[in-house]
Amino acid sequence: METALKESKCITTEEFLINMGPQHPSTHGVLYLELKLDGEVALGCTVHLGYLHRGMEKIAESRTLTQFIPFTDRLDYIASMNNNLAFVLAAEKLLGLEVNARAKYIRVVIAELNRIASHLLGIGCFAQDLGAFATPLFYCFRDREKIVDIFNELCGNRLTYNYMRIGGVQFDFTKEIEIKIKEFIKYMSNKVNDYEWLLSGNVIFLARTKNVGVLLKEVAINYGVTGPNLRASGVKWDLRKDEPYSGYENFQFDIPTGINGDSWDRYKVKLEEIKESLKIIEQAIGALPEGDPTVKAGRQHKLPVGEAYMRSENPRGELGFYIAGDGSFNPYRLKIRPPSFSNLSVIAELVKGCKIADVVCILGSLDIVMGEIDR
Amino acid sequence: MKKYFQNIAIGALSLIKGLVVTFKNIFCPKITLQYPSERQSMAERFRGLVDLRVNKCIVCSQCVRICPTACLSLSAKLTEEKKKALESFKYNMELCCFCGLCEQVCPVSAVYLNKIYEVASFNRQDLYIDLLNPEKYVKFVNPAVK
Repeated sequence: METALKESKCITTEEFLINMGPQHPSTHGVLYLELKLDGEVALGCTVHLGYLHRGMEKIAESRTLTQFIPFTDRLDYIASMNNNLAFVLAAEKLLGLEVNARAKYIRVVIAELNRIASHLLGIGCFAQDLGAFATPLFYCFRDREKIVDIFNELCGNRLTYNYMRIGGVQFDFTKEIEIKIKEFIKYMSNKVNDYEWLLSGNVIFLARTKNVGVLLKEVAINYGVTGPNLRASGVKWDLRKDEPYSGYENFQFDIPTGINGDSWDRYKVKLEEIKESLKIIEQAIGALPEGDPTVKAGRQHKLPVGEAYMRSENPRGELGFYIAGDGSFNPYRLKIRPPSFSNLSVIAELVKGCKIADVVCILGSLDIVMGEIDR
Repeated sequence: MKKYFQNIAIGALSLIKGLVVTFKNIFCPKITLQYPSERQSMAERFRGLVDLRVNKCIVCSQCVRICPTACLSLSAKLTEEKKKALESFKYNMELCCFCGLCEQVCPVSAVYLNKIYEVASFNRQDLYIDLLNPEKYVKFVNPAVK
């Protein structure tokens, strides 16, 4: 008996590594996390990237600007319209092109619709990561489907839209599409309350998300975290307000912010942003100026010698495009600043001291898309 | 002890709230389609496979030039009236990203994107398509759809 006790006192525990991903349902793409664990508690993690690398920046060097628009769809494939918008804004800045008012308004409507679609998917997947199997995700998908249907009717595709053009958009709004968007605003305004009832008030959801993965304001800024994740930490920074582009200065809307910067705040900010986006769409669709916003795709643009950087507010944060021209039709260099890359890099700080189940929660709340991280 | 029961009460209330939402949805109309027996009609602008109206084509090669993935290739010949005519028009579906740029640049609406969306194949050769062949997409059209 005594010897057994002595032996049990000699038992030592040691840290071990566990591979999470690359093929893992909760990693939102092919992400490989190397978790360092002490029992069930995570001590840290190393992120391994590159499983979805397609060499987008190099591809751009052998494409004209118009030819590169379909590739931007495949960066953050959940918010393709916002990627299109960021790229064409950068191209217009380099070329010195002016866009007419109707095109600007249409872009805003479309970008905000895509923001709602993206946040719906983010919330649905987050709830599913926490174990709320199917119900919230299905409701989110049902509502997102309405937006996707509008886009399908507008530009003929459901995920990779290739809708924005340098100097305008591909198609003008028809009367039916305008009516559909107005109907959607009414529909979605009611549905947001459903999410409040289904998720925001649920005690299990609250217990799983409150004080989990607290991202401090300073850490967020140091890591370059942007978008809802930064706003959840209490920093009121939104490019639509602070550096307005594409006519955002004409609309009245608030910037929802969180207090603690935990997973709950990140979820709540996304839900509030859906409401704000609905406000913007309502204002923009109600005041659509007259004019022809369409631009022919065949028009080729010779890039001037020079460079331009343009950033815009994606659903996940600040998406920037840097284009350098050398007098030819193709960019000399194109650099993409994806928001998810910075948002993911902060995960090593967040998982320290968390349980494995909370790592999944944190990853879901950060709402990353691997397409733009690896690009 | 009081807090214990309070927590249970709050939990039960939140459960009821959630159930109210799901209960409301029971009476909503069904939105799921029983694919493949039921199908959605495709939108007017839907971008399916690249197709060609052979007699309209003026062999300007704009579609080939704009294609971001270089999936189109054509060659021309001179007819007896010294006019340009199509000799071959190949479409590599494997590379196509369905962006629709070819359709938009075509000045005579010869190139267009059709409404076929079920494009899986067991054989890679099926994806290399000769657009001049009038029966090129027969294998991709499900007889049940017609």
